[in-house]
Formats: sequence, C-alpha cells, structure tokens
Amino acid sequence: MSALAGTRTLAGLALRRERAVAPWWIALNMSMALLLIGYIQRVMPTDAVKAAYTAVISRNTFFQALGGGFVEPRLDVLATWRSGGFLYVASAFAAVMCVVRHTRAEEDAGRAELLRAAGTGRRAPLTAALLVAAGTSLLGGLLTALALVAAGLEPVGSAAYGAAITAVGWVFAGVAAVAVQLSRTARTATTIGLFTLGVAYVMRYIGDATRQYWLKALSPIGWGHLVRPYQDERWWLLGLSAGVAAALCALAYALLDRRDLGAGMVPERLGPASAPGPRGPVGTAWRLHRGLLARWAAGVAVLAIATAGAGTLAGQLAAMPGIAQGLLRNMGGPTGGALDVYQRYMTLIFAHVIALYPVLMVRRLRSEETSGRAETLLATPLTRLRWAGGHLALAGLGSAALLAVAGVVHGVLYGLLVGDLAADPPRVLAGMLSHVPAVWSVGAAGVLAYGLLPRASVAVSWAVWILTAVLGQLAGPLYGMWAGTPLEPFHYVPDVFGDGSFDAGPYLLLFALTAALVGGGLLALRRRDLG
Amino acid sequence: MTDAISVSGLTKAFGSARALDGLDLTVRTGETHGFLGPNGAGKSTTIRVLLGLLRADGGRARLLGEDPWTRATSLHRRLAYVPGDVTLWPGLTGGEVIDLLGGLRGGLDRARRRELLERFHLDPRKRARAYSKGDRQKVALVAALSGDAELLILDEPTSGLDPLMEEVFRETLREELRRGDRTVLLSSHILSEVEALCDRVTIVRDGRTVETGTLADLRHLTRTSVQADLAGPPHGLAALPGVHDVRVHGGRVVFDADAPALDAALRCLAEAGVRGLVSRPPSLEELFLRHYSHTTEAAGAVGSAGAAR
Ligand SMILES: Nc1ncnc2c1ncn2[C@@H]1O[C@H](COP(=O)(O)OP(=O)(O)O)[C@@H](O)[C@H]1O
Ligand SMILES: [Mg+2]
Repeated sequence: MSALAGTRTLAGLALRRERAVAPWWIALNMSMALLLIGYIQRVMPTDAVKAAYTAVISRNTFFQALGGGFVEPRLDVLATWRSGGFLYVASAFAAVMCVVRHTRAEEDAGRAELLRAAGTGRRAPLTAALLVAAGTSLLGGLLTALALVAAGLEPVGSAAYGAAITAVGWVFAGVAAVAVQLSRTARTATTIGLFTLGVAYVMRYIGDATRQYWLKALSPIGWGHLVRPYQDERWWLLGLSAGVAAALCALAYALLDRRDLGAGMVPERLGPASAPGPRGPVGTAWRLHRGLLARWAAGVAVLAIATAGAGTLAGQLAAMPGIAQGLLRNMGGPTGGALDVYQRYMTLIFAHVIALYPVLMVRRLRSEETSGRAETLLATPLTRLRWAGGHLALAGLGSAALLAVAGVVHGVLYGLLVGDLAADPPRVLAGMLSHVPAVWSVGAAGVLAYGLLPRASVAVSWAVWILTAVLGQLAGPLYGMWAGTPLEPFHYVPDVFGDGSFDAGPYLLLFALTAALVGGGLLALRRRDLG
Repeated sequence: MTDAISVSGLTKAFGSARALDGLDLTVRTGETHGFLGPNGAGKSTTIRVLLGLLRADGGRARLLGEDPWTRATSLHRRLAYVPGDVTLWPGLTGGEVIDLLGGLRGGLDRARRRELLERFHLDPRKRARAYSKGDRQKVALVAALSGDAELLILDEPTSGLDPLMEEVFRETLREELRRGDRTVLLSSHILSEVEALCDRVTIVRDGRTVETGTLADLRHLTRTSVQADLAGPPHGLAALPGVHDVRVHGGRVVFDADAPALDAALRCLAEAGVRGLVSRPPSLEELFLRHYSHTTEAAGAVGSAGAAR
C-alpha cells in the first residue's frame, strides 16, 4: 500500500466539508479589501487629506504598529495597508484551522482509523489537508487580487498583495502540519498553531512599533507586510515564504513517519486528581466558566490598551483643527471637549462589547441544559434556582468586573500617554461602571427568554443585543440619530464625562427592569421541562 | 414498607410524539429492578420524570413515597443518578467532576472513591475532553457509587464500557447490593446485564409496560432450547403442538419447546433413546426478540403477557 493511497478521495471529502467554511473566509478577504478601498475613498477624498492623514499616522507609533509600517499617501497603498494587517492574520488563521480540522480532529473523532483501515495511506490525510488548505489560501489571494483589479487598482501591485496573502496562508499551513504531529489532540494542535501565529504577529507588531525591523523580518506575518505591494513589490519574499512552507511540510512528513496513529510527541498535561472543599452554586459556576471569563478579561484588556493607544491620536487630532473637527463631529458629541467626547465614545463601545458577555452566559446556560450536563447537576440536591442563580451571579459580577478591567487599563494607560494620571483613571472607571445596570438589563432580557422560550433563547438574546446596538448611540449616527433612540438601555445612562451632575433615577429604573426580567425568567424556568 | 418507586399510567408527550403512554413501574425497597426496553421505549423519559426534570402530562409517580416534581431537592439527597449519555465539562478532570458531584450530594467516601478509581482503571487527572465515552461513563459511576445514596438510578450504565469493565461494574454493583440497604433501578437494553443483576424486571415498549415480574415469572412464557443425541430418529416430534424449529443432523436433534409442550417432547425423545441431552433456559434475549419482533406470533405473546399481568 502506497503511503499516499486514497489522497484524492480524502481531499474530495475534505473539500466537501470545506464548502461550508472556505467560501466565508474567501468572501471575508475580498470584502475586507474592497471595503477599505471604499473607506479610504470616502474619508480621504483628496490628495491633501491623504497626505495629512499619512503625516498623522507616520508620527503615531500605535497606528504605525497596528497597520505595519511604510505608508504612502496613495489610495492603493493606504487601502491595502489598512486591510493587510488584518488579512495576513486571517489567512494564516484559516490555514491553521483547516489543516487541524482535516487531520488531528479526524484522528480524535476516530474517523481516521476507519479510513486508514479502509486502505488509505499513512501520508494521505496530511497531504489531502495540506492540498485543501493551500488551495483555499491560493483562491483567497487570487480572488482578492482580482477583486482589487476590478475595483480599479493596478494589476501588478494587486497580484503581489494577493500572493502575499496566499504565502502567509501557506507558511501557517506548514506550521499547523508540524503542530499536528507534535500534539495528542486537535485542541493542543490548534493551540500550538495559533500560539505560533500570535508570536509572529507580536514580533511584527513590536518590530514596527519600535522600528527594530529585524524582528519583523523574522516573522512570517512580517514577510507578508514586507512584500510592500503597490510600492516596490519584493517578489523574492514570496519565494522565501514558499520555501519555509515546503521545509515545514517536509518536517511534518518526517515526524509523521515516526509516530503512531492517534499519538503525539508532546504529552497532554494532566490536571488535578481531586477538587477539595465544598462549593455552592456560585463556586460551581465559577469553576465551570472561569476560563471564559479569563479569556474575556484578557481580550478586554488588550482592547483597552488599543483604545488608550488610539487616544494618542485623539490628542494629536485635537491639535490639528481641520481634520479634528470633522472626525469629532463623526464621534457625535454635542458637549464637552474633544477628549471628553473620545472617552465617552470609548466607554460606550466597551459597554456594548461587554454586554455580549451575559449574552454568551445565557448561551452557556442553555448549552449546559441541552448537553445533559445540567441534568447531572440537577439530579443532586442543587435546585434549579440555585443552579441558574449561580450562573447569573457569575454573569452579573463578571460583566461588572470586565467593565472595571476596561476602566482601569484604559484609564491608567490613557492617563500615562495623553492625559492626567491623577484625574483620568477614576473618571474613566466611573464612566465604565456607570454602564453596569444597562449591561445587566441586556443580559436579563436573555434570561427571560431562557425561562420562557428555551429553544429560541439564544436567538432572542442575540437579537436583543443587536437591536440595542442598532438603535443606540453607536449606530445612530449612521442614520442621523446622533443620540440614538430611547428604545435601548444605554440611552438612559447619564454622561459622567459631561457636566458631572448625578441622578440616581435612571439607575433605579434599569435595576428594576433587570430584576423584573430575571425574576420572570427564573419563575418560568422553575415550571418548565428541562432538557 | 412502601415501594421505592411507584409509577402508574404515566403519560408524557413531546409535541405530537408520545414518549410515555400509560407506563407502569413498581420498584420495591431493597430490590434491584431491571428496566428493559429497546431504544426509544421511554426509559430515560421515565427516569427524568422521576428526577423531577420533566413534568408528566398525566398519571402518578412517587419516588421514595414523595412527589418527584415538588420534592425534588430533598429526594435528590437520597439518590444517586448515572445518566445514559454522560457529558462532562471538557476542561475539568475526572477527579474534579467526581468531587464536584460528591460535594453537591453532601460528601463522598474518599477511600471508596480511591478504590473505585483503581478498579475501573480510571485516571482522575485527565481532562474530560481526553476521555472516551467509556471513561466518561466510569466518572459518573464512581461519583454515584462512592456516596451512600439509598436509591441508585442507573440509566444504561454500561454503554461504552468494554466487556472487562462491564464485569467490573457487575462485580461492584453486586457488592453494593450485598450491603442490603440499597435499591437500584437499572435501565438497560443489554439483557444479559439485567439477567445477571436483577431480582425483578419491567419491560417497556413504545412508552407502555408490556411485562413485569421476576425473571422466573417471565421465563415460563418462553421456549426452552433442547439439544439431544439420540439412538434413533424421534418419530412425531415435529408434529407435537408447542414444539418449534426441529432440526435433525444425523443422530443429533435440536428444537425449541414451549413450557407446556416440554413433557410430551421429552417423552418422545426417551422413546428414541437419549445418549446426550443439553437444555438451555430461555435467555432474556429470546424473550426480548419475541416481544419486539413484529410477527403475529410475537403479538400473541404480548397479548397473553398482558392478560397474565
Ligand atoms: N426532549 C425530547 N424532545 C422530543 N422527543 C423526545 C425527547 N426526549 C425523548 N424523546 C422521544 O421520546 C421517546 C422515548 O425516548 P427515551 O425515553 O430517551 O427512550 P429510551 O431511553 O428508552 O431509549 C423517543 O421516541 C424519543 O425520541
Ligand atoms: Mg435512554
């Protein structure tokens, strides 16, 4: 039996499963690239504005780092500079997930064993997965390039940009191929692959931020940026990427020939053999969902670093009358100075993002129920109310804690970089925490749905969040309602960055609303079938 | 002494599908009761009603003499439950899950826990996502058996266990039963398991009870398999009423006989001269086949069983 026997069949199988995934990634690539052309055309219609923007950007370390260096005031360079930072990572991410999905995850599910016994060769699954992943990257790059040419950009630069997107995908397909051989489970393989991606991104980011370009030159993500499409198109860097990808694949095959099906090179970490001590419902919920909360906290902290960094731009803009006024009008605040408006806008963004956390917790509650795990817990003396209450307490306290993390990180960093370290952190923290009741009320609507309409609860809680955003002050300016509409809870949150007067009325109203929604949901939960 | 579980005329519909259609089940205190039925018969649904997770549409259910829906919490202090399809929290280790459930039930016996882990060859430090289906089942079993609940409700507890572990499970449960103060409801579609462990059995199909009684009670309804080595041909055996599937290979004859026909059949064999004889009591498998195969004969057997009840 040849080691490659059955590759064609497996690739066909993988392609069929990819039909549900790959088109979305490719569409994301293309639309992101096109959207940013539209964006630049709209926001920076004249060469003068482009030049002014480039001047601001080039002096701002944060934006330099985010976008990846070397920007010129031209539509093609600006647009691909903005989309590139995102698309190289997206292409790498898609490739890692694709390779793991069709190799290690199949072994985990035991399907690989079935296929191996049915006469497919040892190297066939990996080869099929690599072919599909490489093909997807190629198509993603090619179609993006074609879309850019169709949008009127120069063909040679577009080809270089598309090729760079493809090349990054190929390198990370190779990384995943090696990771898959090293690990015992798909999860570990994904972790290794994405960790490598994270390191590559951070090296590129720090390289640009500190102008230590050698760091960037060592990062596969950096190689994508360094191709410099529409500027001097360094084609040889694509050759470097392809060479590294090939070397990684060769390494993966060498490892593959040395390991058993289902085995890995890195042993799985073992956990604690027991969990001493009694726990109540909140302790139980904390143990089950602390991982999610920790990931959220990390995500919020990173976002807060970014917003504080972007605040440096707000400061510089405030010093540049022309553009500043235009942008500030877009941010939509009638009162207060430029920086106050910026702060208010940022707290609102954080509050909306963090309102997703209770939405996800309602989804978890529901999936605990449908998976049967709730059944196991509820067959113990734990009552339904205490079980759900534990989860809800964690959702409530967790969302408040996340707002506090956002407030502290954004406030302190902003104070350091732009403002006043004594005055800003408490003000920003108060601003974030002032949104707690509104965030709770959004989650509470999901709880009511969970009690009354369990099957629809996930859809309903998402719908409530989306409506809140659409009807609110974030999306309002898009259709000319600068202050949003009074149909969503954030509308009632007093502006602590404004005149500073305090009114408890809106808070009491939102608390009462939250209590009524949660109470109704729990009452309904007590009376219905579970599962 | 009240019955540990008493269920009568239980009905439950999910939308238009009737999962339970007048189900009866009585488990006496201190006995091990087999709850048999093919997939989709309504076993798990009945158990969920008994645990107060589902609310019955009609009929009566009593668990340890109390209403399982209104008194769920206090009842749950007295029972341990192993679900049919054990799903665990992927990030928790087996040991953590056992302690979590034990803690919620009010503590468990550490020595017993250690001993059970060893017996079932379960590594408690592995995360649940790395466990096989059988391993997950073991986690739930260890959690249930290392407490001292007076009622054990086990829903297909050996699904996913390999034959060796199945034997360990049987051995462990027998030990538990020897203590004498435990009542067990064991749902299963593995008949040999029920045969090996249970005092009494209830057989359900399509949400309805079709049989209930001791294993001996049920066996008289079925056929005994006989294999005999004879000196001459058994004249007239095949023509006897109640004798089925007669096959003759040289001097060996194999057939099945209904209980009332055994006497006449053996007389016929004796006339031909018996040199060797093997007879096998009906296994529950056969009993099962007759209840669930869709022949007219099976329908007749169910009818008579219904009448016998
Ligand atoms: N939550 C549910 N929703 C809809 N139908 C269900 C649900 N639970 C069980 N059923 C249906 O009820 C019937 C009995 O199921 P179950 O009690 O799980 O059977 P068993 O445990 O004997 O295999 C099956 O037809 C099953 O499809
Ligand atoms: Mg079942």
